[in-house]
Parts: sequence; C-alpha cells; structure tokens
Amino acid sequence: MQNAKDTFYVMLQSRLTALNPSRTIVVRGVVRPGTLVEENELPSAWIPVDTFRLQWTELQVNSAGPLPLVSMGCSIQYVTDGSSGNGGMDRGRLLAAMDAELASALGAEPHTIPKMNYSAAGDGVAPTTMGTNVFWADPVFNAATAIGERLVRTTTVQVLAYQEAGEL
Amino acid sequence: MSDLVSATGAAARAADVLLRAMGGRTVMLRMPAPAVPSDVTEQLGIATPAFQDIALGPVVYRKARAAVAEGKAAKWELLVSATVVAGLVGSLTYASASVLFAAAYGVLSDDELLEIEAATQEQVFGQPYVYRLVLRAPLEQMI
Repeated sequence: MQNAKDTFYVMLQSRLTALNPSRTIVVRGVVRPGTLVEENELPSAWIPVDTFRLQWTELQVNSAGPLPLVSMGCSIQYVTDGSSGNGGMDRGRLLAAMDAELASALGAEPHTIPKMNYSAAGDGVAPTTMGTNVFWADPVFNAATAIGERLVRTTTVQVLAYQEAGEL
Repeated sequence: MSDLVSATGAAARAADVLLRAMGGRTVMLRMPAPAVPSDVTEQLGIATPAFQDIALGPVVYRKARAAVAEGKAAKWELLVSATVVAGLVGSLTYASASVLFAAAYGVLSDDELLEIEAATQEQVFGQPYVYRLVLRAPLEQMI
C-alpha cells in the first residue's frame, strides 16, 4: 500500500504543478511544488499556507478477490490567509482557486495510473512500474471553516489499489 | 543619539550582557541539511536529511518553570541573543532569522529536543536585540 500512496502523491503533485506552476513552497531552503505529504516531512508546529497537505487516514483491506483490494482515505487540507498586499481580503478567492485546482487535478481523466515502486528510485534511477493500477474516486469537499482570518478546507478522496504479492 | 544606538548595535550588546548576567547558557539549534532539489525520494520519506547541531548562546529561559496545561505539552519561553542569531543567519546564508527558525527542527536543551512553536523578536530602532522562542515539549510527554 505504500507504493499506492507514493504513486498517488506523485500523480497529484505533477497534475497540480501543471495547472499552477507558481504554487510553490520552500522546504529546508529548497523551492518545491506546493504539495506535500505530512507524514513524510519533518514534524513542525508551523502550518504552511497556500499548500496542499496530504494525510493518509482510513485503511480497509478486502481480501475477497484474488488480490487484496486496499482502500485508503486521503485527506487533503489547505489553508489560506489571503495576500498580505490585499489585506487578506482575497482569501476567499484564493481558497476558491485552490478548490478549482484540486477539483481539476482529481477530476481529470484518467482516474487511474500504473502503480510505481519508488523504494529503489533515487539519483538517476527511475521508479519501476508494477503490474496493477492505482485508482481513485471523486473528491468530497468538506465545508470551509474560518479560524480568525484563516480559511481552512479539508477534502477527502478514496484511493484504491490491489496489493500485489510481496508488496509492502 | 538614536542613530548612534541603532548603528552600533548597543541594544543588542546590552541584551547580551543582561542574558549573561541572568545565567546565560548555551543550547543547541538542530538544523536539518538543505533539501535536495527535485529529489522525489525525500518527498516520499525514503531519504532522510542529516542533522547538524549548532550552538546557540547566550540564552535564558524566561521562567524556570514551564507553562503547563492539562491535555497540552509543556511550553517554555527562551530568550536568545540577537547577536548570535545574526551571525548564524549570515554564516548559514538564510534570508532572515524567521526563515532560520522555521527551518530548524528544534532546540536541544539538556538532551531534550524541544519543538519551536513560535519565534518573535524585540526591536529598538528597527534593530532586533533579542529573540523570543516559544518551545514545546515532545507530545509524548503531554499530561
């Protein structure tokens, strides 16, 4: 299931970057696309704004078929304070822009991609393609909440994949 | 007179003297190595960064006792010399002190790694003379 999580994240990051290349985040001095998986980063009390933060939540394994079907919940949280130059008055518009980007990235066809194994990938080494696919359902956008001047929205999406033999 | 105070960093030096007089000590600022550009394995948690401990002193805990609330981790306030922070920002080529503290993994104090929850600065004539860090104990020590 780790391969499915990695594959989904890389797919989502590449689609979001293609939609809006200017959405970036600085992580340890390096500019990266503005999408990250919280469990893969250093723990921090700071919440990055205008960034898509993925959290893996529910997990179900259905062993009825020839290959176990793994269903994972992916919670995507994003917050915005608006632009300081606009006094934060554009925070609603910035949240709407992030909603649109996420809806477009997750709604774009195909809803499936080949599962990749990144465990041996690295400098100059490409990930290996596995035998099954990762696919996902339509996202569910939860109600936005306001914490002071900050707008927060959490979107959930169900990610499914078959667990291949010997796979972690 | 104000120009003289501003230009010579007298306030920062006075703060350093006060920090030392109040029992100024040294803690370690734990910094992760810079991220590797376009390295997907680091974003996937496969490759992990190396860490470097950098001495930070003189510093003083504002209160000897931590602020403790039920259901929350203990918190401390640490006053840090602006002179040493300015030196670190320059030598580590960070854009500002806030970026330095945001990039830091935590503060190692008496073999305990405390997370930096907030970093603010006190200024005189636009020049910081002391930094105030709010530190949080590890969550596993939450009461």
